[in-house]
Amino acid sequence: MSINVLMLRNLRKNIRNYYLYVFALVFSVALYFAFVTLQYDPSMDAVEGSIKGGAAIKAASVLLVAIVSIFLLYANTIFIKRRGKEIGLFQLIGMTKNKIFRILSAENFILYFGSLILGIAVGFSVSRLILMILFKIMGIDAIASLRFSTPALVQTLIVFFVIYLLIMLMNYGFIKRQSILSLFRVTSTTEGNVKKLSIFEMIIGIAGIGLILLGYSISSRLFSGDLTSMTQLSIAMITILASVIIGTYLFYKGSVSFIFHLIRKKKNGYLNIKEVLSLSSIMFRMKSNAILLTVITTVSALALGLLSLSYISFYSAEKNAKLYVPSDFVLTDIDDAERFKEALVADNLVFTEKKTEVILVDVNMEKVLGETPKSSGIVSKIMPLPVISENELEGIDVSPDETYFTKTSSALDNLISLKDEGPIEFKGTHEVIPQTYTTINKDAPILGYFTGGGLPVAIVDETVFERLQNNLDPALQKKSSLNIGIDMKERASVEQANDLFQNMNFKKGSITDSQLETKNNQKQNMGLIMFIVAFLGLTFLITSGCILYFKQMDESENEKPSYTILRKLGFTQGDLLRGIQMKQLFNFGIPLVIGLLHSYFAVKSGWFFFGTELMTPMILVMLLYTALYSVFAVLSVFYYKKVIKESL
Amino acid sequence: MAILEATKIHKSYGNKLNKQSVLSGLDISIEEGEFVGIMGSSGSGKTTLLNVLSSIDQISNGSITIEGTEISNMKEKQLAEFRKNHLGFIFQEYNLLDTLTVKENILLPLSITNTPKKIANEKFEHVARELGILELKNKYPNEISGGQKQRTSAARAFIHDPSIIFADEPTGALDSKSASDLLNKLSELNQRRTATIVMVTHDPVAASYCSRVIFIKDGTIYTQLNKGEESRQVFFNDIIKTQGVLGGVQNEH
Ligand SMILES: Nc1ncnc2c1ncn2[C@@H]1O[C@H](COP(=O)(O)OP(=O)(O)O)[C@@H](O)[C@H]1O
Ligand SMILES: [Mg+2]
Repeated sequence: MSINVLMLRNLRKNIRNYYLYVFALVFSVALYFAFVTLQYDPSMDAVEGSIKGGAAIKAASVLLVAIVSIFLLYANTIFIKRRGKEIGLFQLIGMTKNKIFRILSAENFILYFGSLILGIAVGFSVSRLILMILFKIMGIDAIASLRFSTPALVQTLIVFFVIYLLIMLMNYGFIKRQSILSLFRVTSTTEGNVKKLSIFEMIIGIAGIGLILLGYSISSRLFSGDLTSMTQLSIAMITILASVIIGTYLFYKGSVSFIFHLIRKKKNGYLNIKEVLSLSSIMFRMKSNAILLTVITTVSALALGLLSLSYISFYSAEKNAKLYVPSDFVLTDIDDAERFKEALVADNLVFTEKKTEVILVDVNMEKVLGETPKSSGIVSKIMPLPVISENELEGIDVSPDETYFTKTSSALDNLISLKDEGPIEFKGTHEVIPQTYTTINKDAPILGYFTGGGLPVAIVDETVFERLQNNLDPALQKKSSLNIGIDMKERASVEQANDLFQNMNFKKGSITDSQLETKNNQKQNMGLIMFIVAFLGLTFLITSGCILYFKQMDESENEKPSYTILRKLGFTQGDLLRGIQMKQLFNFGIPLVIGLLHSYFAVKSGWFFFGTELMTPMILVMLLYTALYSVFAVLSVFYYKKVIKESL
Repeated sequence: MAILEATKIHKSYGNKLNKQSVLSGLDISIEEGEFVGIMGSSGSGKTTLLNVLSSIDQISNGSITIEGTEISNMKEKQLAEFRKNHLGFIFQEYNLLDTLTVKENILLPLSITNTPKKIANEKFEHVARELGILELKNKYPNEISGGQKQRTSAARAFIHDPSIIFADEPTGALDSKSASDLLNKLSELNQRRTATIVMVTHDPVAASYCSRVIFIKDGTIYTQLNKGEESRQVFFNDIIKTQGVLGGVQNEH
């Protein structure tokens, strides 16, 4: 048989086994090519220009290369190992190692570059769709048109050619190390570690769960006010990271077998088929994949967390904009406002105007800061707060020794945890005015510029306001103490007004803000970040899903003799398949649940810095992730089904 | 009454162009409580015969009935159902699940039939004590010796009191001491439980424990030897002689 015939036969035989590998390869190439095409496309200038998006996209493409190459190299180690026996056989019939290497390389070459070409084709055809999605997310009104980009093609080819060389290098090393002896070793080594659970393993098992719980519990107290200085915060964060990651590793290494061991012990030797196939098998096998599973869990938790946070931020853009810019437009300079109003009138746009005088006064909050007196680290007891008169707001009447506070932002709320009411003191330059305050359910009526983005606004009696005005500390005041809010009568005219607003020549350095613009900006920033994180996350999800699937392929082949025995004993294929479904539920479900839990606690500890809505965006992201991930579990069950069928 | 009745069974492998006939019109009948040995040279079709008799493999032609049930045209599901109630297996390569303990392995056939836990435990104690492996019950297969593994395998075959136990070279991988231990246990169980055993072997010593030995050659039965009232030594000598006539020294694998 000539070398070419041998090669072609091998290829034909293997391609059926490796269709998922080919798929993953095509997929990686397509994603990468689409991504670089975007990067080189002129229509992306709009995106990149606004917000240093260019740097973000570049960094993402580097990460993408890292994920893809680690995946391809790892997948290759799995596949080359599976062929150890074949390589031994070739040697046994007298082929030199160099010749074997040439066969493998040629075979790989066809497979790899075939997929590469296919991937580029797919990548090009989907890149326009991806660009459209990106524009849609960011709310950019550009037509997504793409040209074939030669630099993108060259970059893709170079990257994947380098990965191919690395793969070849690895294969070369593997073949060099292979001896005919390994022919006889292949199967026997895998089962060597089936032993009774040792005390040491039990301790590891308990420690794993303990560490994870410890990390979770610290994370939920991270911003609750217990930890105040920056150093304490960073120590806490590092502790969380370390204990969760080490805990995850120990969990796979020991906890799973420990828990399963306890369940099995209860059965007192009498296992049904589901338990035989799931419990007893996973108990011994999950251990040996502990590192891989830890990496997959941690990175997917990270991706999930980032995706949730950016989605939370994106999702909350409108609410945030309303909080920061409470009117459609806010100006702080009378002349600016006059000119803008003239422009509006000229265009026949109807609006209402509301001028509010805002002064800043130091307020002693010592008695009302949250339970923990330690807060001094981050938050000082005396804060300069914006103060407005009761007359500025309709339907509000405050007595002279009373002050109302508007709501604080959710982020600040978590940090300083003000009491709902209590005594405070306004500290003017000449006099100190004691007051009792109550928090009312009202958002700040003035621009975030005055509130520092989230401090409460103090609403006081007109007389108190005058006294404070006579007592002003000039050093505390902003450049302007006027909040001029302009609201459009018709929602429909906001956009037109915004266009005017953007084209006005306001005074240099004067503060102006448009609600619509603020919202769009946040949507654009977060949209791009979300897009990039989702892109990377998806790549990671698919590649790690493939790796778990490949591992399961291997495992099913290893367990084939067991299926033979069980079928001889009279278990039907259906019985075995039900057991396998259970097994895959654990095999894929355990890392999934742990990953979701990790990201849940991570997001929960700090989400309020990113937006105003936690549950909906997070659950949406998690559901999507779970659905995509389950595809691989289902595929692996189909593979098992085939193996079971062939086992008798 | 015969517990197993096979008539004119044919089995061939390969396709139309390249057909290899392994069994060609073989008849065999096994009575309840018999301990039957099947001998023949390597490649003569012993394993094939055992596989078709035990419903693991399909015959090309002929009929096989076990306890009056025709099994040669049953569907895969019915066959599995039949195996779990009526048959027990012991193989050369132990065939234990290495992620299960000795006890869990032995209890498998009872778990298929959903036997109540209490009865299962009693049966386990009983059979494990008979085979002398009770104290190994919490060990994993790779923590015990080959002989112990094979006795575990035997315990699993006996635990649900099947109609017939099929054993393919059960002593093939054992040293002679473990082998004779196992064979003694098998013939003990054969007598005490009146279990029917069909054992394929190429070892005349193993065959001498049987009550009847069938020699196959060229896909049919060449001859049979009955032990009757003879001693094991005499029977052994008869087997050796027949083997010599059958041709050549037996050298499997
Ligand atoms: N699955 C199979 N496919 C093709 N030929 C087979 C198969 N199983 C066994 N044979 C052939 O059938 C013959 C008998 O094999 P076997 O029953 O294993 O013999 P024994 O157990 O007596 O050594 C051998 O020539 C073997 O090559
Ligand atoms: Mg054989």
